[in-house]
Amino acid sequence: MPFISQIQRQSDFNLFPSTTPIVIDNGASYFRIGWAGETDPRVIFRNIVQRPRHKATGETVSIVGDHDPALLKYFDCTRSGPRSAFDGNVVYQFEIMEYILDFGFDRMGANGAEIDHPVLITEGVCNPVQSRSKMAELLFETYGIPSVAFGVDAAFSYKYNQQLGVCDKDSLAICPGFSTTNVIPFIDGEPVYKGSCRTNIGGYHITDYLKQLLSLKYPYHMARFTWEKAEDLKMEHCYIAPDYASEARLFQKGTKEAEDKTRSWQLPWIPPPAEEPPSEEEIARKAAIKEKQGQRLREMAEAKRSSRINELENELHGLEFLLQQLEQVEDDDIPSFLSATAYVSKQEIESARQKVSQSLRKTKGEPKGDQVEAEEKIDLAQNEKFPLIDIPDNMLTPDQLKEKRRQLFLKTTSEGRQRAKQKRYESELEQERKNQQDEEKRLENPELYLEQLRDKYKELSEKVEQRKRLKTNGNHTNGNSMSGAVGRGERLSAAQRERMRLLTTAAFDRGKGEDTFGARDEDWQLYKLMSKDNDDDDEGPDQEEAELTRISSRLQEIDPTFVPKSELGTSQPVEVPRFRPLTKEDFQIVLGVERFRCPEILFHPNWIGVDQAGLDEMAGNSIRRLPSVGQGVEERLTNSIFLTGGSCLFPGIAERLEAGIRMIRPSGSPIKVVRAVDPVLDAWRGAAAYAVDPLFPTQTFSRTDYFEKGEDWLRRYQLRYSL
Amino acid sequence: MEQEVVEAEIVLPTHLSFKRIQMYEKYPKSQSRSRHWKHLKQILQAENYQNYPPDEPTYVNIESPPSMHPCKRICDVTGYEAPYYDPRTNLRYANAEVFKLIRSLPNDYVQRYLALRNAAVVLK
Repeated sequence: MPFISQIQRQSDFNLFPSTTPIVIDNGASYFRIGWAGETDPRVIFRNIVQRPRHKATGETVSIVGDHDPALLKYFDCTRSGPRSAFDGNVVYQFEIMEYILDFGFDRMGANGAEIDHPVLITEGVCNPVQSRSKMAELLFETYGIPSVAFGVDAAFSYKYNQQLGVCDKDSLAICPGFSTTNVIPFIDGEPVYKGSCRTNIGGYHITDYLKQLLSLKYPYHMARFTWEKAEDLKMEHCYIAPDYASEARLFQKGTKEAEDKTRSWQLPWIPPPAEEPPSEEEIARKAAIKEKQGQRLREMAEAKRSSRINELENELHGLEFLLQQLEQVEDDDIPSFLSATAYVSKQEIESARQKVSQSLRKTKGEPKGDQVEAEEKIDLAQNEKFPLIDIPDNMLTPDQLKEKRRQLFLKTTSEGRQRAKQKRYESELEQERKNQQDEEKRLENPELYLEQLRDKYKELSEKVEQRKRLKTNGNHTNGNSMSGAVGRGERLSAAQRERMRLLTTAAFDRGKGEDTFGARDEDWQLYKLMSKDNDDDDEGPDQEEAELTRISSRLQEIDPTFVPKSELGTSQPVEVPRFRPLTKEDFQIVLGVERFRCPEILFHPNWIGVDQAGLDEMAGNSIRRLPSVGQGVEERLTNSIFLTGGSCLFPGIAERLEAGIRMIRPSGSPIKVVRAVDPVLDAWRGAAAYAVDPLFPTQTFSRTDYFEKGEDWLRRYQLRYSL
Repeated sequence: MEQEVVEAEIVLPTHLSFKRIQMYEKYPKSQSRSRHWKHLKQILQAENYQNYPPDEPTYVNIESPPSMHPCKRICDVTGYEAPYYDPRTNLRYANAEVFKLIRSLPNDYVQRYLALRNAAVVLK
């Protein structure tokens, strides 16, 4: 736990005489309150106030400090977060300050009519008079405190450590705190504020930087990075690199050393139930179900097919019957007979019959053949019907001449038809041969044959699908088509879009350099491509579709498990987006460079946009700001650089500071960096030791002093630390 | 109030015997909750530091000056030394891999990275 609060109510408040001062270290992060002369503060809590609404009663309450989060469930904290009375190191919201003081005195056990004890309270270096006077006012008016003293926390810490012999009488105190970092030179045990300097950076910024960096690095776990957790991580894992650049390079190269320095934090993670391989029974059961379903589908397909065949056969019979009847009917009666049916002429009925018989064949999976026969019959009938052809022109009358021309035309067409028939016959033979080969192959190796057939079916059906899709909307290649964006481009088919593209490029090509259009013959092909009726397709797909039906019927014959695709209703394979299963590593927060990058901002405030000098430079600035003192003083100062404040707890900070200060000091200067015994609590301890001194009352001022002496006096009021 | 909340005494009592003026008297509920405090900037302005003798240390003049050291530039994403700078996103980056990453970042992430060093675009 980063926040060690100590808020038990004390019971011995009334045992202390009214001369015993109460000592308060009012830091931006922690509020510590206790009795002068004791070694430890009695009450410690975070210097924050929350004003949530109590859920049950709806009243707004004040909660000071940190509490068990489990207890906060009764409160609605969404409207107000924790608030601090501080802006930087200056108290500016005295309403919040009052809540905090209320809580502090209450936990100290105060229960009288007023707080009848002198108070020593800390403040920042060169605290603005307004803040100081408001604080004095609050203490005097509201709590009835007889006298008050203000002191600087870093100075008390220095005094405390000086008495312990940690640092010298001349010393440079560097105090990286929660919201600001101060450097104060001490000469003869007294602070010289003239030489002090302050950079507005501190532990708050480090924690915030860490929190932000981690939530940017792991956006999925952002909710995990609470302020408290970030503070915790900072205190446990952050350190100051001796040299940032070389340390970062270690990590960049991924060396072993860097690996050792990397920490990872495993978030609670429950592995998803491992998928056990299904048992034999399960597999069998599933297969049975699948088989059953397949069987049903096949049956359905078969039923559909047979019913269609039935239907077509019925229609065919009906039409044939009609034709027969028509033959028996007298020529004159034909129109009246036909008016009862939906047909207009005999030809129409015949063509309908032909169509039906063709589609019947198609469904039955037989090759086309009827048409050929029919044509053959006609041809045979028409053969030898051209008696005029062989007679020379000059022997004919004009009428006969006309007739001859007609016969000539008929003959050439019938010959053409004959040729086509011949071709068809040949191709049929070829097909037959192929079928035979197929059959042989099948008999040879039924498994392989089936496999090949299936492959072919798949390939063909995919091709046909694709063509269909291309025709309807061509943008299947670009995955956005699923997103539902239907702009103008999306509505056009591929061919149409190609045409649009051609038109636009042709339109915008004008005037760009030399116009060479038409120089080559291919250029004119463009118009062909542009023409509107370009997009009707050739016979390709029909052939493919025919082949597809052929194969599917063949497959249906020989493969009992085959189910035609269209029957399944899935027009295209739906690609289910696959999610990578989350692993343990996805729930690990790895702290690598962050471990030393975050505290590094103490030395490089400009990394978080604060354009001020870092710790090492501040020390140099501070010495330079001192009014001209002897050379010896500067050396004595650097010989006792004293570190205090919560943010100097990072490992490696002393070494780094020493190296940094060595760089800016003349060569050969003695440099020694020491750290406070307890950088966090020493300020309170120093103040408690100071307040117990019999001369302490000389440093306080009372309510009357405050009102009589005025603001100018209060501004110049300064504690003497050496009594 | 729930039993455990009362036992833990986490809620500050509204009336405290040791106070001369209670909170509810000082900040009555009926009164409009207008701001009765000043921001630090306003406090400092009101201090009239310009009237002070120039050699007197004040909250303002003890601030550290800007750094005189050349600014070390680090990669905004990884923290490595950053020799490069992407003019499109304004992010600094260490190598090609990071560059690929920052170019794939959505704009609000870019702005958050920039905000870390106070360089984000702020619309006013």
